[in-house]
Amino acid sequence: MSLVFLAAVIFVFISPELKNVSRETFAAETTTNSEVSEGLTCQCGCGLTVANCNMPTCGFSVPTRAAIDRMINQGMTRAQIIAFYRRQYGEKVLSAPTTEGFNILAWTMPFIALALGGGMMVLAVGRWHSNQPSAPADSNASAQPTTFDPELRRKLEKELEERR
Amino acid sequence: MPQLGKLALAIALILAAYSIVANIYGARRHLPDFVVSARHAVWAMCAMVTIAVVVLWIALLRSDFSLEYVAAYSSTTLPRVYKITSLWGGQQGSLLFWTWLLSIFTSIAAFQNRRRNPEIAPYALAVLAGVAIFFLLMLNFVTRPFDLLATIPAEGSDLNPLLQNYWMAIHPPSLYTGYVSATVPFAFGAAALISGKLDDGWIRSTRRWAIFSWFFLTLGNMFGARWAYEVLGWGGYWAWDPVENAAFMPWLVMTAYLHSVMIQERKDMLKVWNLSLIGLAFGLTLFGTFITRSGVISSVHSFTQSGLGPYFLSFLITVTLAYTALLIFRSKQLRSPAEFESYLSREAAFLFNNLMLVGIAFAVFWGTIFPVLSEAVRGVKITVGPPFFNRVNGPLALGLVFLMGIGPLIAWRRTTTSNLIRSFAAPVAIGVATGIVAAASGLRQWYVLTAFSLAAFVLGTVLVEFRRGMNARRHMVAEPRAKALVNLVAKNNRRYGGYIIHVGAIVAFVGIVGSSFFRTEVKKSVHVGDSFTIGSYTLRFQGLDQADTPHLESATARVQVLSDDGREITVMSPAKLFFKRPQQPATKVAIRSTPASDLYVVLAGIDDDGQTATFEVFLTPLVFWLWAGGLMMVLGTVIVMWPNVRERAAIATALSRSTTDAGELADAAPGGD
Repeated sequence: MSLVFLAAVIFVFISPELKNVSRETFAAETTTNSEVSEGLTCQCGCGLTVANCNMPTCGFSVPTRAAIDRMINQGMTRAQIIAFYRRQYGEKVLSAPTTEGFNILAWTMPFIALALGGGMMVLAVGRWHSNQPSAPADSNASAQPTTFDPELRRKLEKELEERR
Repeated sequence: MPQLGKLALAIALILAAYSIVANIYGARRHLPDFVVSARHAVWAMCAMVTIAVVVLWIALLRSDFSLEYVAAYSSTTLPRVYKITSLWGGQQGSLLFWTWLLSIFTSIAAFQNRRRNPEIAPYALAVLAGVAIFFLLMLNFVTRPFDLLATIPAEGSDLNPLLQNYWMAIHPPSLYTGYVSATVPFAFGAAALISGKLDDGWIRSTRRWAIFSWFFLTLGNMFGARWAYEVLGWGGYWAWDPVENAAFMPWLVMTAYLHSVMIQERKDMLKVWNLSLIGLAFGLTLFGTFITRSGVISSVHSFTQSGLGPYFLSFLITVTLAYTALLIFRSKQLRSPAEFESYLSREAAFLFNNLMLVGIAFAVFWGTIFPVLSEAVRGVKITVGPPFFNRVNGPLALGLVFLMGIGPLIAWRRTTTSNLIRSFAAPVAIGVATGIVAAASGLRQWYVLTAFSLAAFVLGTVLVEFRRGMNARRHMVAEPRAKALVNLVAKNNRRYGGYIIHVGAIVAFVGIVGSSFFRTEVKKSVHVGDSFTIGSYTLRFQGLDQADTPHLESATARVQVLSDDGREITVMSPAKLFFKRPQQPATKVAIRSTPASDLYVVLAGIDDDGQTATFEVFLTPLVFWLWAGGLMMVLGTVIVMWPNVRERAAIATALSRSTTDAGELADAAPGGD
């Protein structure tokens, strides 16, 4: 079964379309309209990027995509085109926060939170590990006869409850 | 007729208030009659809200434009199915729909608990009724669905054209079902805190509700993505829109909850964490509806923006503070003598899995609210869009996928190094081999290579688990492979259904990576008869067909798709639509889907003479697997939730035997009576 699975994986990866696409993608070294328009937010109020705004008569994304084509043909880079629109419309036209000043918090906070959470988790696990009770000493066999294990009964009742 | 709807909502509000009082009074004074009466009030409340819904539906179907809501969201020319779906097409109707679902789920919870959980059920139903009261107050006093117009128009404004498709019938109901059903486990968690009955009884009573909620959140998210893909015409399925994020966050937290409750069930640990998670999941459902309805953050879902924001924010803050206060109040009682033997254990893997899931939820939350924060602090409007979410969540997703592979194969309590090597050797080999093959085939991006390798690793771990289980069965009971597989899943549906969900998630992940990194796009203006290429396809524009109905005008292109050897594969029909009321253009995308890639054709523009058309065409590899993975997750959830009747009967028999055996042994013991 593992061999069949591996063969399926290989088949997917050597499929012609995926190879063609990856060659085209990696061959592209010039700026594309998509790359630029993904970096800009449409100002029509849809909240989507200029690349994704699909309104056929959008007053912002339609002319902007055309203007981006012209600027690319004039030899402008992605960074230059985006800087142009930033000067025109302010930071709100960028589709992601900059990495300056207060905006650094946007990028770093999720990883800080993750690191803090991870640290707390490691500490908690360490505390639970050190609280682990030692194994009880063997006791002499009781004179009492063996009775049905109450813990097993509790587990059985729990299983039954879950399957209701 | 509208007066009946208004009256029904007013009575529902009174019944909800009575239910709270009677439940709490009956529970505190140990008066079962009050608790029974409160339960009946819940059922009556559900009946009243149902009457209100039926009244609004009748008004929509009859195009009764005396109602402001009907005039705003319907028209005489609107097809009947969309008249029905317009119940949740606008602010007031969607709120009424939410309340209706809440009343139904509260009624079911009341019925399920009529003879069990006597100590916490009354408090849980009181909490549910309390949440219902908030929504009923909104419907009665703030955003009223049965308001009348002073002047009745001859025609309505119609439903937003973007909502006039079959997804409108299934996406909002699925998502709302997921949102609203999360209230039930939350209510029982709150009831456990209120009553002080803090064992895992509330978790066992609501486990199916949590899975049910997760199931519909999964469906709702998948349907929303598919809707965006089919209708919006930009070739993608997820734009990290605030309202999309609002649906994704409770799904992430609920996923974390469903994993971590397993630790509480086995080891009686993480009580505070689980209570916090279910509170967070519920809070995020409220946060989601706050975002959708407040206009605080701009979204493409702006059709429900209103002045409800302050009310929802107040309710959210109140619930959060009250729940947190309860948690702090009970914190000492929630401590348990936890045993944690090793970092190399399933408990540890689940904990770190929780960390990643909640971490991603936080990253999404942070990115969603950061524009508001930025404006408040700096006075500068900014946008946080897809580049941010992709760059932050991308690496986190890899961590999560890695942990998905660890969890199933690592043992509870402790795993030795030799066990680790034995369990993971094959999956690691599969992952590494996949990476090597991918690199050899020309893929170079580190993220893609890592993602595909990890995906193969996870699938390998699931494969190992299934193989182990099947081998064990075949060793005990000589049966063919296929039968062993079916019986393995049927007799351990919770475990193996979970593995199928994992497979679905990984398959969807592969679809997301493939479609995100390898999509190509061509935009071309062509005359009739001319063609252009994308990938190995040639597209030939054959002509345009125009149509005009009372509802809309359309221009549909005929695009012949040829393979690289000139053979016709299909003819695709992308269209431009122009709805007459409201006057709004829209696009109808043509998609040809195969497991390898989707060919996605948009008619972007037409010249006046109809002889020249502009097409935007996307070739998106592997996106098929996103939808296939979603279906697998749905199938896996159905398997998890399937009642296992034979096992239940066996447990019941064992229980009754244990009672008999214990009694016989006690009689036989020396000194026993």
